[in-house]
Amino acid sequence: MIDVAQELEDLLGELVAVQKDVNKLTTASVSGTPIREWIKDIHKRWLPILGVLEKADRLDSGELQLVSEHWNRLLKLTDGKNPKSQYRTVLKSIISLTEISVLHPFIKYSGLQTIGSTLRKLTASISDPVLLKYLDESIRCAEANCVRGSVVLAWCAVAFRIQEKLVSIGLPQLEGEFDKMRLDQGMLFKNFNRVYKLSTKPDVQEIPDAHLILLCRFLTYLDDTEYKHLKGALDLRNGCGHPTGYQPDPVKLQAYFADITQLVLRNPKFA
Amino acid sequence: MLNRLKADIDGILELVQKCPPALQETALKVILEHWFMGNAAVPAKTQVGSSPGTVATAVPQDLPGPVKNFMTANGLTFEEMSKVYSPIGAGAQLLISGIPGAGKAMKQANLALLLAVKQALETGAFSCTLKQLREMATHYDCYDAANFSTNLKSHKNDFKPRAKGADLELSGPGLKRAGQLIEGAGEHD
Repeated sequence: MIDVAQELEDLLGELVAVQKDVNKLTTASVSGTPIREWIKDIHKRWLPILGVLEKADRLDSGELQLVSEHWNRLLKLTDGKNPKSQYRTVLKSIISLTEISVLHPFIKYSGLQTIGSTLRKLTASISDPVLLKYLDESIRCAEANCVRGSVVLAWCAVAFRIQEKLVSIGLPQLEGEFDKMRLDQGMLFKNFNRVYKLSTKPDVQEIPDAHLILLCRFLTYLDDTEYKHLKGALDLRNGCGHPTGYQPDPVKLQAYFADITQLVLRNPKFA
Repeated sequence: MLNRLKADIDGILELVQKCPPALQETALKVILEHWFMGNAAVPAKTQVGSSPGTVATAVPQDLPGPVKNFMTANGLTFEEMSKVYSPIGAGAQLLISGIPGAGKAMKQANLALLLAVKQALETGAFSCTLKQLREMATHYDCYDAANFSTNLKSHKNDFKPRAKGADLELSGPGLKRAGQLIEGAGEHD
């Protein structure tokens, strides 16, 4: 089994070297046999990599097709004495497409193959069955390359935990705390001016999560830094739960899980 | 922390001089180790409502020994570590939003050092797989595929000798540079 990423890096390294040699030529065309043979050799090494990439179901076959077409154009150029400018254009396209459209997605998807075990380690000490239900579904989403879905579902666990904690202090008391926060002129709270009437548990579920986590800060379940990080996690959740072009990668998802587990799901103050 | 050490060093030396000459070197080493451990540790949890910028850090009881030694040797506090990693222990993630260094090559090498410490927080081994490095370098926009291996070769002093494609493991100089990076990374992030 070949190490595709390593092979592609080596291949790109050589193509860059070819590119430099072509640029160095003082003639208008590439007439020397060594450079043309070199390109043919590199192409021979590209073919088995292409074979592996074609089997990787998560890569865009259209992009692979495009790279192959550029390779064919390059090979055609090596058949005879052709202008340097044409070599430069095709080489640039192959290098750029291979790195951006093939190698980067390949690395990203190889990260998704191991993301499940990484996320499960982070949530290993959580035993609440309701939280686990959301988290398990979230992790399965990540494994299926649905990172945005994963972010949203993991936030369900966070929201559930926060709502349960706040309801546990009693609805009248909770209403009172919202009032106190409304009157607080501290930096974080002075812009909060909503009045909430809470008579049933679903009333708490109707409150925007941004206000709930602000109340958690007000009640000192979170300190300033913890609040800032949890707000960042909520922003990510909102970015993923609404129609935007944002696509978090597996690394971002891991950091998100690390934050929500530390700040809420495993935080004894929310127990 | 160095300022605190400067303030305490006279007292430490005085204590060392009370030991028999043959044992003074060992005594100095032991006292300094304890001093660093004592001064590296912050209270188990930063007070709720602490000033902005402080990081709440639970001091883990089961931090791998090699990481404790690394922190001691580099004079790193838990606070400094927690500006770069969270949690400090198993499941550690890089917190910083950007990798220090000028240019992709330096950033890639620095990222490898930071990832090796991240791995050590979990297992005690200061190592990093190339797969991890590629994934994180892509995330932090410092992945230069055509020069990936060359960049590592040009920083070979930071890593133990290895076969092509094998995991990276920090060398002595690499551990030292990782310590400096962590000290500086939190400040600049």
